[in-house]
Amino acid sequence: MVLFHLLVSTEILFFCRLITVSVCCAEGFVRSEEDNSMECVVQGIIETQHVEALEILPQGLCGVQRERLRVHELTLKSLPNLGVVPSEVRLLCDLDQPEPTWTVKHVGGSMRGAGADQISVMVRTMIQSKVSKNALRMFYSLGYKLDHELLKVGFAFHFQRNAHISVSVSSVSKMPKIHAIDETVPVTPGMQIVNVTASATPENYGLCTCRNRLNPWELCRQLLRLLHLLCRMEVVLHCKKFEAKS
Amino acid sequence: MPVKWVLYWQPNQGSTVSTQILNEAAQCAESISGVKEGRWKATLNYYKPLLRDQSSTHHPDSLPRDFLGISLPDHPAKYYFIIRSQRIVVEADASIQIIMEKLQSYKSKVSLHFDGFQYHLGDFRLRVGRVVPVHSESIRGIVMEVEYLPISSMEKARKVMEEFVEIWHEALSKRSLSGKFVNVELNFGEFGLADNYTPQHTGVQYAIVMAHMIATVQPAVRG
Repeated sequence: MVLFHLLVSTEILFFCRLITVSVCCAEGFVRSEEDNSMECVVQGIIETQHVEALEILPQGLCGVQRERLRVHELTLKSLPNLGVVPSEVRLLCDLDQPEPTWTVKHVGGSMRGAGADQISVMVRTMIQSKVSKNALRMFYSLGYKLDHELLKVGFAFHFQRNAHISVSVSSVSKMPKIHAIDETVPVTPGMQIVNVTASATPENYGLCTCRNRLNPWELCRQLLRLLHLLCRMEVVLHCKKFEAKS
Repeated sequence: MPVKWVLYWQPNQGSTVSTQILNEAAQCAESISGVKEGRWKATLNYYKPLLRDQSSTHHPDSLPRDFLGISLPDHPAKYYFIIRSQRIVVEADASIQIIMEKLQSYKSKVSLHFDGFQYHLGDFRLRVGRVVPVHSESIRGIVMEVEYLPISSMEKARKVMEEFVEIWHEALSKRSLSGKFVNVELNFGEFGLADNYTPQHTGVQYAIVMAHMIATVQPAVRG
């Protein structure tokens, strides 16, 4: 996973003109091409002391209130020999609701190729589905086991600019004991994860100003260009996995 | 959500299920003042695990053999998974099917359609339909949904549902058919379901009905 280290300025503008991506559906479980989603992802790390400054900007620019974020994320992996290929699925439990709600999420690999090589952000498939509370038990029965779990606490902004855009800032913690969300240990003490995602679906096709309407990389290129122009920051590219296993 | 019972046609020994029974049931509904409202359809899929090494004995018995999913006409944006042996029922968005496709760990081995007509009878809604494999006209069974619209509590609706089914049996018996509609008594509590009726209750009923149908009903050669 590619990260870039952001030294925070006070001027971060999130402005996206979105492209749609046509994704071909496979046979079998798939019911509708509209259900397939691509997302553009920009991730970074911010020192905790700068989080307050970072929080003010999206609120002013996007006109939405921040939402609290407290999510227990469980990553499950298939048992050996199960499946055509080894598979992984994430279960997210939103603990901030009066009654915890669950979501199943499948994140695909990053897009590759000449276009992807030109940018340092991720474009990947992402499908999610709300599920009832015993989904974890179901996946255990289907031959999936818990690989690791994390607790993410922070805040998020969700807004619509012809597509759904999310900006979240959260501390990520691991659990020394299974499901012990009250006894967590920060994965990156003093640092929080900044996540910006923008969805691309057939519904918002045709709204971009890119030269090639079918090119999904232009969105990410524009986003990164804006971040470079509007933020007085140093961008350093790292490649590492920041979601440590518990 | 109104309480619903799902019944299935159990032929007498030596008899098979056929389209004629479905037609008789439809005419019976109209004979007791049922107003035909239109068609209905549901789809059920049985899944089997995909193993990379078929010859390996790694974890084959721990994986469920009765994992199924069902889409219901009243909730087209949802999908329901049931593992009957584990007493598990899960409600999900319809997009869960795409996730399962991408995981490539399970594959649909048998798909069945339930389709037929629905009728309005006072406070009841009745659906009668055939069970056919997808891409086939070979009738595998007949199901009937009885829904009591005013009440959501299963316990409170029990008596009135029993009375309706009794009236239905009486009306159907005049047609001299070789079999009857059967209601399977279920302990929904084992599936973690409460007295208040939900689509998950429907999913569980279909899973149980199919298990009984497979065990007791001989398929017809042609519908």
